[in-house]
Amino acid sequence: MTSERKIRANRANARASTGPRTTRGRARAARNALRHALSLPVCSDPVLSEEVETLAREIAGPGANAETHELARQVAEAQIDLRRVRYARHQFLSDTLSKQYYDSLANIRRKEKVLDAILRRNPLDISMETLKFMTSTPQGPDKLATVLSGEAKKLLAMDRYERRALSRRKFAIRAFDAANRDRAG
Amino acid sequence: MPLSLMYNVIRVSDSLVERMVAFVSRKSISNTEIAAPKVTGRTQRLTVFGPPLLLEGEDAAAYDQLLARLCAAVKPVDIIDEIFIGDVAALEWEVLKWRRLKWTLMQEDILKALKDFLVEQLESNYALHKKHFKRYLAELLRNNLPTEQADSAETLAAECAPHTDEANEKLDEVLGSIGLEMNTVLDNARAAKAKELVQEYVRGKQAAVTLVHKLLADAGVSMDTFMAKAFPYKIDNIERIDRLATVAESRRNAALREIDRRRAVLGETLRRSVQEIEDGEFELIEPTAANGKNAA
Repeated sequence: MTSERKIRANRANARASTGPRTTRGRARAARNALRHALSLPVCSDPVLSEEVETLAREIAGPGANAETHELARQVAEAQIDLRRVRYARHQFLSDTLSKQYYDSLANIRRKEKVLDAILRRNPLDISMETLKFMTSTPQGPDKLATVLSGEAKKLLAMDRYERRALSRRKFAIRAFDAANRDRAG
Repeated sequence: MPLSLMYNVIRVSDSLVERMVAFVSRKSISNTEIAAPKVTGRTQRLTVFGPPLLLEGEDAAAYDQLLARLCAAVKPVDIIDEIFIGDVAALEWEVLKWRRLKWTLMQEDILKALKDFLVEQLESNYALHKKHFKRYLAELLRNNLPTEQADSAETLAAECAPHTDEANEKLDEVLGSIGLEMNTVLDNARAAKAKELVQEYVRGKQAAVTLVHKLLADAGVSMDTFMAKAFPYKIDNIERIDRLATVAESRRNAALREIDRRRAVLGETLRRSVQEIEDGEFELIEPTAANGKNAA
């Protein structure tokens, strides 16, 4: 069990953690939610909000009471949120894959080093192999693997949103089912 | 009953995986394949959950087929079941995608190593690609010789192909006249033959498979040797893809468990309703005095 001293320390530390303090830091933090907008609630978007209501009506069924409708709305909200996250991830992957000259950061750095070495030489001497390496970019399955590896951090962040939405939806559905069961019983 | 439903769905899903893998790797599918059910109204309703998220080059028809099969197997009773089916389909598709990507990445390097090995073998054993070289040379000459000599390309190729000192001298002379080097042409021909052999090997053409296995055995190596060489360079990517596949699999299984749980709840509710209806139909009849006497 956590001791009283630890609890006091945790509370004091939590009070000290109040986010960025400088104006620049605060301005940057204020834009966090706008990067991909996934942390904004779906109801803050009028289009999505309407979709939530439509889906909620469908889930609740005809003649549902206010409580059922509210539970159905929670399911719908989580489902639309999940769809939004999955769509954002898909869009991000598609956009990145469509970049013709996409390459991993590690490869770009390697190319920069080679280019640097070439430019130092006098006269310029580039072998066919070097030229091939410098002008090559991953294609096909290699490109997808490179994107997955190069954008792992962003994809992981998006995956966290998906996990949360899935969890919210699971519990919302369970609550909805439990209420239906109680009413039927 | 609930567990069996889940296993059925997993079984259906696994057989789909096999079929999809077979489709992708272009293996022949047995005649026992079940015809894909037509897309039902319920499947069409699933579009309220958004269009399928497919990357460029992915087969939308195959996705629809997967969704339709899942719908047919699970038979959703309400929109929440449909939500879960949509999830299972999307996640199953993802699992297939990552497995396919992993397989392709591994295969790519292994086949490249095999091609390099075959080029070496062809270099040391001209007889293996003599016929191919004759054809290759004839085509090369047809395309490069002046029009009036192009007709004699076949004859010239036949004269130059035998790989004797005399033939090589002639080959060098003929190629020199069109500005080509003999060694480059031989290298290109070997590379083309090796590529052709690898393609036939992948397609499972018996002659190519036998030849490749014989060459591998003679050299004391196997396909595993190439895999072991290629694997360290791909390990990071493969590990990452494996993780994605595992996440998708566990989410798919969670959706299946939820379908299963809801069926159990539905089953219990139905049983209770039936019980209530049956209870309402019957009245408890108190035993009469006469009945009691008879019973005694």
